[in-house]
Amino acid sequence: MKRFINTESFLNVFLAQRTKRYLTSLLLITSFFLQPSISYTQQRNASEYEVKATYLYNFGRFVHWSADASFAKNESFPICVIGQDPFGTTLDTILSGETIEGRPVVAKRVSKPQDALDCRILYISLSENARLKETLAGLDKAGVLTVSDIPQFSERGGMIQFVLVGNKIRFEVNLTSAQDAGLTMSSDLLKVATAVRKFSQLGD
Amino acid sequence: MLVSGAALLLACGAFIGYDLFSFRQAVLNNLSIQAQIAGSNAVSALLFDDQNSAEKTLSALRVSPAIISAGILTPEGRPFAAYSRDKDDQIQILPRLAAGQTETHRFGDSEVLLVQSIVFQGKPIGIVYIRSGLDVLYARLRLYLGISAIVLAVSLLAALLISPIFQRQISRPIAQLAEIAQLVSRDKNYSVRAAESNSRDEVSVLVEAFNSMLSQIQERDQALRKAHDELEQRVQERTTELDNINKELEAFSYSVSHDLRAPLRAIDGFSQALLEDFGEKLDSMGQDHLHRVRLAAQRMSALIDDLLNLSRVTRSEIHRETLDLSAVVRATADELQRGAPSRNVNFVITDGLKVNGDSRLLRVAIENLLGNAWKYTSGHSCARIEFGLYQSNGRPAYFVRDDGAGFDPRYSQRLFGAFQRLHASSEFPGTGIGLATVQRIVRRHGGEIWAEGEVEKGATFYFTL
Repeated sequence: MKRFINTESFLNVFLAQRTKRYLTSLLLITSFFLQPSISYTQQRNASEYEVKATYLYNFGRFVHWSADASFAKNESFPICVIGQDPFGTTLDTILSGETIEGRPVVAKRVSKPQDALDCRILYISLSENARLKETLAGLDKAGVLTVSDIPQFSERGGMIQFVLVGNKIRFEVNLTSAQDAGLTMSSDLLKVATAVRKFSQLGD
Repeated sequence: MLVSGAALLLACGAFIGYDLFSFRQAVLNNLSIQAQIAGSNAVSALLFDDQNSAEKTLSALRVSPAIISAGILTPEGRPFAAYSRDKDDQIQILPRLAAGQTETHRFGDSEVLLVQSIVFQGKPIGIVYIRSGLDVLYARLRLYLGISAIVLAVSLLAALLISPIFQRQISRPIAQLAEIAQLVSRDKNYSVRAAESNSRDEVSVLVEAFNSMLSQIQERDQALRKAHDELEQRVQERTTELDNINKELEAFSYSVSHDLRAPLRAIDGFSQALLEDFGEKLDSMGQDHLHRVRLAAQRMSALIDDLLNLSRVTRSEIHRETLDLSAVVRATADELQRGAPSRNVNFVITDGLKVNGDSRLLRVAIENLLGNAWKYTSGHSCARIEFGLYQSNGRPAYFVRDDGAGFDPRYSQRLFGAFQRLHASSEFPGTGIGLATVQRIVRRHGGEIWAEGEVEKGATFYFTL
């Protein structure tokens, strides 16, 4: 099931619905015969988003949210994905049963920034690249930790940007954005970041 | 010297041992803390797969020169980061952490390996280990041993130098006291005294007390000797007195026996002569008178003999020897039977009864007792005389029992008195001395004699020796 969905997400970007469905089912049938090579490729992709999902959870353990009225009311710790979901059920699998600061972690998908206001961590999908400025503006000072793969994310006001160093998934941090949103990042986290930048929000 | 040396050695050993043990604990604690610090600093590196950061954290351990190497592993045990003090470092086989165990350690020769689980927010996320050298520990051990050796040597030397002084003050006077005490007990010479010293310490007090005690003993001893000598003298005097008395008594009894007997013989002899020569000239009354005179003379002679016996018994010395009393009884019984073979007497004699006493005197006693039994059963046609051993209150008593005339138990006190007779001489002849003699003999052997009896039912005479 995992593999199938990731292939679908890959195709989403480029193909129409119907064609997508046809190709998906074709691939599903052929995948049973071409298991080894396809699964290896899919494995590598799967690992990437498994790792990123784990990192999303771990970010939550090294960031401190200031005591905010809206968050105090919230019983759970939502980790959300806005835009086209590259994780799929991986995220849910990895986050299930975990807690941060005693609150149970839940995975949510949202489509609009307004829906993301009560998220603690928000992964902004590549699909939102064009709408990034509005998205970030919509989340301004809402105390949401923004994470993304979008290029120049941290320069453009995002807080944590995934980067690929060698074949390892690393990240760089925009400390100013985080501080503006009232978030405190642990020095342990900053220690392992590839870069700690201090840009104020620039937008596109 | 040996004892104090051993005690010192033991104390040193105990201190060193304890210190080493607590030092080992301290080393382990120290390592544990360092591992915890390294582990908590490497948490984010582990979570975000940043090996460089982890290695940087570990390299901070370089400040501890004792740490040989350290490393961080993933929870599955795969190496993640490592640090090594020296360039070459062997691959370690780490002891496994059991489920639920957060720390374990292993002591090798001159190094210790600590393995600790890195826990972040309640979840184990990795393993950290540190290898530390124990050279410091061993250097400390050598230092301690050196110090102990020096202290031991110095104190033993000091003891060696100081001991002669104490010997003079304490040991020598005490040793001397012990010597003198031994001398006194061995030679009984109470005139020796211990040498006194002028110092006013406890030892000199002891010596003074010892000397005064000896003086007292000496005085007592002399008084004892004097009393002893006096007693000896008195005993001597008494003995001489007694000897004199005895000699007098001997002379007396001799003269009695001789001088008393002579007239008796004359009386008896001439009476007999009268009877023989002039018997036909006398009428029956006259003859009867003469018979009576003779009888009386004979009786008096017997009395004198018995009295002499009695006095002899009292005077003579006892020669104690082991004697078969049963044999004596049997011999006496045989003699009695031979004297009157017509009499039918059943002797029941317990054999093998041995005693320790004077054979002559005991023979006399047995003769008297058996003689009495023989005499007082003469009235019966058939008699039974028994000799045996009887247990009375744990003390064995010999007895002679007959079933003859017996006596009235009311008069049992008079039985043993001299000349006391409970029967008329017409019934049973006798001088009345026999039992008195037996009593004297039994008493001289340190025993007692008593009798039981009933009229016409026989009598039993018990005696102990």
